[in-house]
Amino acid sequence: MSQSEVRKVRYRMGKLERKNTLVAYSFLAPNFIGFAVFTLVPVICAIALSLFEWNGGDISKLKFVGLDNYATIFATKKVAEKGLAYFFNRADLGIALKNTVYYTVVTVPLTIICALALALLLNKIRGAVFFRTVFFFPYVSSMVAICVCWSFMLMKDGPVNQIIMALGINFNKGWTADSTMAIWSIILVSVWRNMGYYMVLYLAALQGIPRELMEAATVDGANKWQQFWHVTLPQLKPTTFFVSVMMVISCFKIYDVVAIMTDGGPGRATKMLVTYIYDEAFIKVRYGQASAISMVLLVIVLLVTIIQFGSEKKFSND
Amino acid sequence: MKKMLSVLLAVMLMMSLLAVPALAEDQVLTVVTWDATTTPYLIAQKDAFEASHPGVTIEYVDVASQDYAVKATTMLEGGDTSDIFMIKEIDNLINWQAQGFAAPLDTNGYDMSGFVGTEVNYAVDGVQYAIPFRSDFWVLFYNKDLFDAAGVELPTNDMTWDQYAELAKKMTDKDKGIYGTHYHTWLSAVVNWAVCDGVNTLADKNYDDLLYFYKLYQDLEDSGACMSYADLKAAGLHYSAAFANGNIAMLPMGYWYVSTLIGYNQDGTCNFNWGITAVPHAEGVAAGSSFGNLTGAMINAKSEKKDLAWEYISWLGGVEGAKATASVGARPAWVSEEVAASMSSVEGFPADETSKGALLPAAVAMEWPVAEKVADIKTIVNEEHSMIMAREITPEEGIEEMNERVAELFE
Amino acid sequence: METAVHSREIRKDNPTLHKILRSIIWILLILLTAFTLIPFVWMISSSLKLDREVFAFPMRWIPETFHWENYSLIWQKVPLVTYFKNTAFIAIVVTLLQTLTSSFAAYAFAKLNFRGRDVLFLCYIGTIAVPWQAYMLPQFIMMRSIGLYDTLWAMVVLQAFSAFGVFLMRQFYRSIPTELCEAARLDGLSEYGIWARIMLPLSKAAIATLVIFTFVNTWNDYMGPMIYLTRDINKTVQVGLRRFIQENSSDYHLIMAASLCSLLPVSVVFLCLQRYFIEGIATSGLKG
Repeated sequence: MSQSEVRKVRYRMGKLERKNTLVAYSFLAPNFIGFAVFTLVPVICAIALSLFEWNGGDISKLKFVGLDNYATIFATKKVAEKGLAYFFNRADLGIALKNTVYYTVVTVPLTIICALALALLLNKIRGAVFFRTVFFFPYVSSMVAICVCWSFMLMKDGPVNQIIMALGINFNKGWTADSTMAIWSIILVSVWRNMGYYMVLYLAALQGIPRELMEAATVDGANKWQQFWHVTLPQLKPTTFFVSVMMVISCFKIYDVVAIMTDGGPGRATKMLVTYIYDEAFIKVRYGQASAISMVLLVIVLLVTIIQFGSEKKFSND
Repeated sequence: MKKMLSVLLAVMLMMSLLAVPALAEDQVLTVVTWDATTTPYLIAQKDAFEASHPGVTIEYVDVASQDYAVKATTMLEGGDTSDIFMIKEIDNLINWQAQGFAAPLDTNGYDMSGFVGTEVNYAVDGVQYAIPFRSDFWVLFYNKDLFDAAGVELPTNDMTWDQYAELAKKMTDKDKGIYGTHYHTWLSAVVNWAVCDGVNTLADKNYDDLLYFYKLYQDLEDSGACMSYADLKAAGLHYSAAFANGNIAMLPMGYWYVSTLIGYNQDGTCNFNWGITAVPHAEGVAAGSSFGNLTGAMINAKSEKKDLAWEYISWLGGVEGAKATASVGARPAWVSEEVAASMSSVEGFPADETSKGALLPAAVAMEWPVAEKVADIKTIVNEEHSMIMAREITPEEGIEEMNERVAELFE
Repeated sequence: METAVHSREIRKDNPTLHKILRSIIWILLILLTAFTLIPFVWMISSSLKLDREVFAFPMRWIPETFHWENYSLIWQKVPLVTYFKNTAFIAIVVTLLQTLTSSFAAYAFAKLNFRGRDVLFLCYIGTIAVPWQAYMLPQFIMMRSIGLYDTLWAMVVLQAFSAFGVFLMRQFYRSIPTELCEAARLDGLSEYGIWARIMLPLSKAAIATLVIFTFVNTWNDYMGPMIYLTRDINKTVQVGLRRFIQENSSDYHLIMAASLCSLLPVSVVFLCLQRYFIEGIATSGLKG
């Protein structure tokens, strides 16, 4: 290929790319404009705010403080003095981080397993419509009602403890008032509420598995387990990816259940990042600091998401 | 960076000012408050004010009570022009004042003697920013029928905490499911009594004086004289429903519960006889000492009808407003014999002398003082409180934590 | 289908094993159903009690007397009809806008190569990661400035362009073979044509999913309407529900009754759309 030919091809490619870009932007525009105006810009404002001290009121009261807000929430002075243990055992941010990560690490796999199991069970079965609707019910109901209801179920003499006692386990305490069990009551309610939601995603995805693949596997003599492991599961990868990304994000952002059921207690046993943000912003009116905590949350979630995306690319290359 | 953000926010604010239409043509005062449709005193105040001020309409903006601080703060930050904001917690006013949302009030020539000094909680640097119109102090409610049935003498206006605890145990009857007393889960219901002496406050960085009350509580809980904190917390069981069930002999609670109980008696939710006494007092503290909370109203700095708004809130705090407030069983901030008389003459208010005597407390300390970092202190004390109450740590450990963590705030 | 294919085989090979498998599945289902439904039974029973009976011990699953009047009381105590109308309006408009614009944008992200794609997509994901509480205030100030505060449209624009929908649709589109699009391009179909004639029909299940989620989320949203809607004529059901929780009393029985009522419309939407999860689409998809 001569030089000029190469240039021509490049030129054509460039033109094509530009045209493609234009077409692509025309697809994006309707959503992106609304998204940019109503979400992106406020988010950028919030990011900037983390470098300011602002206790509300007139914007003339904005005071640039650099990284001071971060120094405060990470309790840098104390940590320098007393070591990292101080951060995780005493500082609000450390405790909130610890709780949130714990909650996320338990809730995400548990929900995914339950959701997938439900979807597989209900994919083709008599009465599926009924069951599907039943499992979706928790997600549809209003949060207050659910939390009030579960608070009752988890009381000292409530139904859940009665079942536990009947199984011979000696646990005689209200869940939400116990510092180890309180976070599990949040996990339980979250799994109960969300498994139906993610089940729906898996159900939709199961429809996308080409029948030919299954038939081919059967012809090859694969048993049910092999079929599941080698055909179904790989086919569900994009969905599992989506589900896990969304779940990690939403777990890190857990707020309502905690606010209604435990209010972060007892002590700081269920204090989460967002309850901490809410507290700083609206109870203590320190918007700068609240933004700084949100940035910590944002960075963590972005890191996790980027790792997840990396593995998605790897999967799709396989 | 700062410049860009400032410009951005400035543009937003300017646009917001342009976009809000002026509503000056009719005499409507918008008042931001909570539970507007169901709170009897708000209805009574509105009716009385509109009757005495023809041509003026009070329009309530109703916010769910548990979200009041957040919603009202957001409204103010966004440049809302509602004329009056009611104040649920004193810190809210202090914050709003610092942010420039509260219009300074010219109280020259306005008689504030009836507030018996409570109004200073709404003043910053000697300038008044809000007028109190409700002042709830804590009293002891009791179920008269239960005491009569057990043949136990009724509680009096002069009891020590030890005497009260003894009485609670005496009234407890496990077979009949009767509890001697009831503690709501709040910090205030359990240990706030330490501030009744008028010397201690919850912001004075030392919490050793709470120990006595935690011990007292745990002793009562252990002996079965009150329901366990853990269950109440889990069920979110409301003290109003608990006491209305009729199996609780005593309940230390804010005065606001009087109007709830009167309502219950009227609609048949409960039909036992009840009464109130002054809260018990510690050894060496005058009988009838209590603590309480203020509810008030401020004028929005962005209001376009400040004169009319002032007329409203000055009326609300004064004798006329106080009568309207008292007419439904709520306790106005204005204290006088006249107002006390109208409080006890409310239909359904217990007729005995003890109950009437409880209406004029010897001294009322503030539940929470106005102090530096009080919001942070509140969080810490409440967190440790929930640990102690759930028996995750002992009272001694919890109090040590309070002392230590609050001290860290001021390092 | 996997179950179907396989069970046919088991049935051929070993009828007893098949029966055992079946019963295990059913037992599992029944247990899970109980786990899911018991709280609702409690909610129904509470909605028929008096307030003070709700948390009374020993608990009664069947109320002493059935207080059916709770269900008429809720409509009298708060203007629930208005709240339902508002919520329905917001939910329907948001769902329409969200589905349309997201599936459009997602097509670009999933099937087109263009400069800035990854950066833009990261923006979308990034904003999902920021909790709303953190940027609520700047957003509120802006909404006010364009005069949307205390209008239903505030809720519409707030939720109609969420990043979630784009992300969801993108994931579904990615699972549709790119060869299909390429073949269509060779046939001379424009990108818009591909979106309308190939992607849309193939993504029925995805769209049904998005519709359900958007509708449910909008219907159940509390914080947004709490902050943005102030006048009574503009409030939504969830905000209305909290009016039963007051400073000095909580009517849990009424909360239960009202939230059961608000459960109905969303369940109907779900019931109508869930059949799309049964209709297989992928087989025809692969054959093009």
